[in-house]
Amino acid sequence: MNQDSPDKQIDRSAKFVFCFFISSAGLWLLAAAFFAYLSVAKLTDPFFLSTCEFLTYGKVKAAQVNAFVYGWGGNAIFAVSLWILARLAQAEVRGSIFLIVAGVIWNLAITFGVLGILDGHMSGHEMLEMPTEVWPAMLVSYLVILFFSLVLHRSRSTRETIAPQWFVLAALLWFPALFLIAWNGMELDVARGTLQTVLSMWYGQNLIWLWLTPVALGAAYYLIPAILGRTIDKYYLAIFGFWCIAALAPWSVVHHLEGGPFPMWIPAIGTVMSIAMVFPIAVASTNFHSTAFSDLSKVWSSLPLRFVIFGTLSYTVSSYIGVVFSLPDVAKITQFTIINEFHFNQRVYGFFSMIIFGVVYHALPKITGREIPLVAKSFHFWTSTAGVLLLLLSYLIGGLTHGVLAGQPALPWASSVIDSLQPYFLITKFAFVLLGFSQLVFVLNLWKVIFPNPFACCRSMVKEVDA
Amino acid sequence: MNNLGKFTIGIFLTLGVAWLAFVVGARSQYGDLSPTSQSLEEDGSVPADADLFPKGFSGLAKQGAEEYASLGCVSCHTQQVRRVEAGFDVERGWGKRPSAPRDYVLQDHLLLGNSRIGPDLANIGMRGYSDEWLHQHLFQPQSLVPASICPPSPFLYQSSDEPGERSIRSPVSSDEASLQFLRPSLRAVRLVAYLQALRQDYELPEVAFVESKEKESDASSETVEETAPDASFPDWLSLQIEQGKEVYMKAAAGGGMCFTCHQVNGSGLEGQFPPLAGSDWVLGDKSRLIKIMIHGLMGEIEVNGVKYNNVMAPPGIPPGSLSDDEIANVLTYVRNAWGNSASAVSSDEVAAVRLSLKGRAPMQMFTSSELTQPAQ
Repeated sequence: MNQDSPDKQIDRSAKFVFCFFISSAGLWLLAAAFFAYLSVAKLTDPFFLSTCEFLTYGKVKAAQVNAFVYGWGGNAIFAVSLWILARLAQAEVRGSIFLIVAGVIWNLAITFGVLGILDGHMSGHEMLEMPTEVWPAMLVSYLVILFFSLVLHRSRSTRETIAPQWFVLAALLWFPALFLIAWNGMELDVARGTLQTVLSMWYGQNLIWLWLTPVALGAAYYLIPAILGRTIDKYYLAIFGFWCIAALAPWSVVHHLEGGPFPMWIPAIGTVMSIAMVFPIAVASTNFHSTAFSDLSKVWSSLPLRFVIFGTLSYTVSSYIGVVFSLPDVAKITQFTIINEFHFNQRVYGFFSMIIFGVVYHALPKITGREIPLVAKSFHFWTSTAGVLLLLLSYLIGGLTHGVLAGQPALPWASSVIDSLQPYFLITKFAFVLLGFSQLVFVLNLWKVIFPNPFACCRSMVKEVDA
Repeated sequence: MNNLGKFTIGIFLTLGVAWLAFVVGARSQYGDLSPTSQSLEEDGSVPADADLFPKGFSGLAKQGAEEYASLGCVSCHTQQVRRVEAGFDVERGWGKRPSAPRDYVLQDHLLLGNSRIGPDLANIGMRGYSDEWLHQHLFQPQSLVPASICPPSPFLYQSSDEPGERSIRSPVSSDEASLQFLRPSLRAVRLVAYLQALRQDYELPEVAFVESKEKESDASSETVEETAPDASFPDWLSLQIEQGKEVYMKAAAGGGMCFTCHQVNGSGLEGQFPPLAGSDWVLGDKSRLIKIMIHGLMGEIEVNGVKYNNVMAPPGIPPGSLSDDEIANVLTYVRNAWGNSASAVSSDEVAAVRLSLKGRAPMQMFTSSELTQPAQ
């Protein structure tokens, strides 16, 4: 048994944890897809489920975002980070039982959080909607997972660290700091007036830039060379890209506050720093794409890599678009429009989730020894690609329409500005149905691979825990 | 990069600097703003007996803010008027001036929002909507604004056939026989109190009202128009005409905004809006005019032998909000201005017509053929 290669042993040690986190992430992905469908169905028909108080548009929207970011995002981050850290440290995952207990608490906290939102205990601050009662449970369980990730990293066999480790570790470490800052300003020592809004905007956008983004970038830095069997081109730039994101991203995110009741220096700094963000975006883009495009046929034939490259391309394009939209003259039109949805879905769907899918398809056969059928994988890839592109294009064009029409004060609001968005809402509704099917296929196959025979699997897990 | 301790310190330093600026720095810059007077003395002090703004919310309105947050209204409505150079908000009539940080210092729960699928609500309490209108809108927005995609909230109301204390007319009653009434729940009452309390209708030392185009056009109209009501009118009639003129000219809450289409001198616009001066309709049957004033008019109409085809929503801001008195006054004005001369309209006459139209949905506009048919 112990004659296996070290990689196999590491994978075996990570199996239990990885499978637990990724299968719960899958469930959250489906929950988020369900809420996403409800919310756009409500935009196209305001009477849809309108008598049900638990499902007002605002609640469903918040539930979708939280299920997506903390449920799917959080669990996927735990699974992917632990596996990548273990592989790169060449060390076995330890403390599985604590990790699982923490994971269960994390998932319970999010479940109660989302139910709390539907029950009307919502705070109204983006990404902080979940009732404050669940925050302690989230923080404690997160810290446990963080602790074991750091232990894992410390037990690495080589002192030298590489780009994937920096990104993943930084993301894992940033989250509790951001969360504590938000908690302090929202609950313990409540900020007065619009300071609350500055803080919630800073927190919510940083969550995407400093938590989801680095994990996905780290995964791409790991997976592209691993699958292609070549080194990252111009790797010496990666360290510059990493510190640029670390130093600039927390400054750039506040450009969304343009024009509002805040001191003018806040959005002004945000805009300047957003423009400076072209450097780290260019670095990551160069690293990924000049490596990948040197062997396009291999990228195309490897499905996990196709997911990852879609994600990195999407990251590049969306980030540059984000820079353009942070300019005050453009923000004048695009601010407060459904372009917000474009940004959110581009980040967490087109970029983060696609890369996570790639990692899962790459890691799952190694860890469980079973493959997801190629047909299912291909179906997932093509429907996701089509769905994401459809979704993003309609939010982008719809958002510009929204902004341009809103800027003409003579046009009545409901009957002409919002009415002209209806076609785009319809397209996004279709896109969400498509994505919902796509995710359903993904999650069903994921569960089938992880639990090929539910009862036998439980027994083997119990055995593993005993061992 | 290889030492975990140093690495951690490094990444926390980069985050910490931004935290110092946006959280600690911003807090020390304006975390202690307090209410102040609309203008300050020359030495920068607050005048002794001046009113302080912003005013705090009532207890009911504060509870309303929690309901607003709980229902998730913030996901479609912002509550911030952007600076003039950063957006169209003032132009759209969403506020008399940009919002300032000080406007929010007394609110416990900030709901500024970041998305405008619905209109901005920073000044919803200033737009002159009645509580009843807001309740009807919460119950079913589409009954008042047909194109709205705001989801109805019927769970905040109890329907009944009998009017009770504090109950309001259901906006979905189709005819008199099936008249429905709504009893707002406490939550609905809180919510409406909160909405009515959202108003930035005062100036602050740091931000003044924006001179609006509307005011300019008001000023120019003053000069064009021949004014003073005919001296031969009895006092009560001159008073009614004067008040009616106010409604005709007013383009803010409580006004009819009539002049924007029918023009200051009642001439209308050729091919688009029929004239009122010398119009056979204006000088004709009063009850027809009252009906138009209550429910609006759409489709083709022939005035003095010329055909027009346009839509006139029930006048008032918001639509259909003119009271019986206001309708009587403005009709009396148009029947006696610009060389017109016809009998006055009394508010009792308006009330009688309104009663006879009780079952009609508020936005169900009349057509000219409906009005010219002999009464059944």
